[in-house]
Amino acid sequence: MSEYILEIKNVSKFFHGLVAINNLSMKVKKGQIYGIIGPNGAGKTTLFNCITGIYTPEEGQILWKGKEIKGTTPYKIAELGILRTFQTIRLFAEMSVAENIMSGRHIKSKQKWYNGIIHTPAYFKDEKENWLKVGELMEFFSLSEYATTPAGDLSYGIQRRIEMARALAAEPELLILDEPAAGLNENETIELTKMIRKIQAMGVTIMMIEHDMEMVMSLSEYITVINFGAKISAGIPSFVQDDPVVIEAYIGSDEEDDHA
Amino acid sequence: MMNKTSMIAIALLIFMGFYPLFVDSAWLAVGTTFLVFSVVAFSQDIILGRAGVFHMGHAMFFGLGAYTTAILNVQFGWPILATWAPSVLVPMFFAFILAGPIIHLRGDYLLVATIGFNIIFIQILENDIFGLTGGPNGIFGIDIVRVFGIEFASGTYMYYMAFILLGIALFIMRNLDRSKFGRAMFYINKDEIAAQSMGISIRYYKLYAFVVGAGIAGAAGSMFSVQYSAVSPEAFNVTQSIMFFTIVLVGGSASLPGVLIGTFIMFVLPEVFREFATARYLVFGLAMILTMILRPRGIWPVRFGNIPSYLKKDVK
Repeated sequence: MSEYILEIKNVSKFFHGLVAINNLSMKVKKGQIYGIIGPNGAGKTTLFNCITGIYTPEEGQILWKGKEIKGTTPYKIAELGILRTFQTIRLFAEMSVAENIMSGRHIKSKQKWYNGIIHTPAYFKDEKENWLKVGELMEFFSLSEYATTPAGDLSYGIQRRIEMARALAAEPELLILDEPAAGLNENETIELTKMIRKIQAMGVTIMMIEHDMEMVMSLSEYITVINFGAKISAGIPSFVQDDPVVIEAYIGSDEEDDHA
Repeated sequence: MMNKTSMIAIALLIFMGFYPLFVDSAWLAVGTTFLVFSVVAFSQDIILGRAGVFHMGHAMFFGLGAYTTAILNVQFGWPILATWAPSVLVPMFFAFILAGPIIHLRGDYLLVATIGFNIIFIQILENDIFGLTGGPNGIFGIDIVRVFGIEFASGTYMYYMAFILLGIALFIMRNLDRSKFGRAMFYINKDEIAAQSMGISIRYYKLYAFVVGAGIAGAAGSMFSVQYSAVSPEAFNVTQSIMFFTIVLVGGSASLPGVLIGTFIMFVLPEVFREFATARYLVFGLAMILTMILRPRGIWPVRFGNIPSYLKKDVK
């Protein structure tokens, strides 16, 4: 087996004949924080949707630990250990914070089909283990005081933390974060940066899309830059930062904004 | 320390337990049917209120249970007791094979498909296709429950049998809500994409809801057929399915007290106002409309956040 946990090889995804991802390749090492940046509409979230099975790319390969996972349904992708958060937060808004995080324990729970109707000693043991794990995560993300609060009633920053806690509850090997700092204030972003480092220290590989350049440059060990669905640059942060192609892509898009 | 809800629940339980002592036989029958319909409404609520599947053919599973008992008893001479297991298993089997091909459909499409199943079911019953269902008149002369020579024939016995059935249904609902299975249904209901991304198979849990819901409805059907010692197609038509669907939405999806209130409003109140003849349905229709406008989540909405107490220690 290679040192790469996830390999994306020449992946293309089309929507009604329009290319959303164009012959994209990247390799993620185990334990790495891998950043993906690019202007809006570059196809970054589409790429994440391809990895997590929400979309099936028309061309190319997605290899997880050397095995093809393209076309696998989202719930099986999660069972493989690939968990994600969403750019537009997707919590179970009416349910409490604890119940939201408990959804991450679903794939770890060992309850049998009949435990939905009748409870057994094994059920009680399993149920308690999972709730205690939820308790640990609430403490880690400073959410304990909101345990019974409906997730939808909480602020944006807290909701982002709940999403991360929920994904982490499934004990993922690869955590995919789609713009984790979007909508956060400066202090919250600093807290988030610390938290992502702690998660990495647990041995979790992290892929993230982020527009906050300071954060993504300080956290990522390797960055791929996407524009119009294609890779325009890749490398360590200091290289990408100074790459004229990247500067062009960002400044170019700014000029377009000015004209609009 | 008991909260308000459990106190109301216990008061209600005591009232329901002594109800047969205060009423005549007609009201006793209304009480028994209320209990049976509550069980059906709870089973509808597993599919509609928990898994969020817009299923409007639930009277079919109720009818499958009733007809299983009626056919096995009247046509084949089985004792009622022996028909209980088949009256649960037959609806479960049909739920599995019928819901399987339509489970992936979006809410409105699935709703139409389930109505279709219900209509076909009624057609089969009325046309007496296998010579077993007795056609439009149904089947008469269903036996009573006999255990070791004791005959459970009186209305009071019927009432308490239905009471025990409701107890069993509530026990199952509570267990479901506190398990991985019940929670998975809620997650799917609230956000399918997020649920899938957490490793939850939408298909599996929606089918699970259908099969468990159909089994409970079947048990209620068996009880219903014994109570009236007869079954006929019109008790299980689409209008009945609409009633069970409405009970859940008016009372409160996934809310145990809500579904009981819903059944009371939709079934018992019309009986109370029987003297107003069909005019009572005017009020009834208005009540349905007003509830949806004023309380879109139902009269007694579900409350989430039932988590173990050891996780609440930091809650302010």
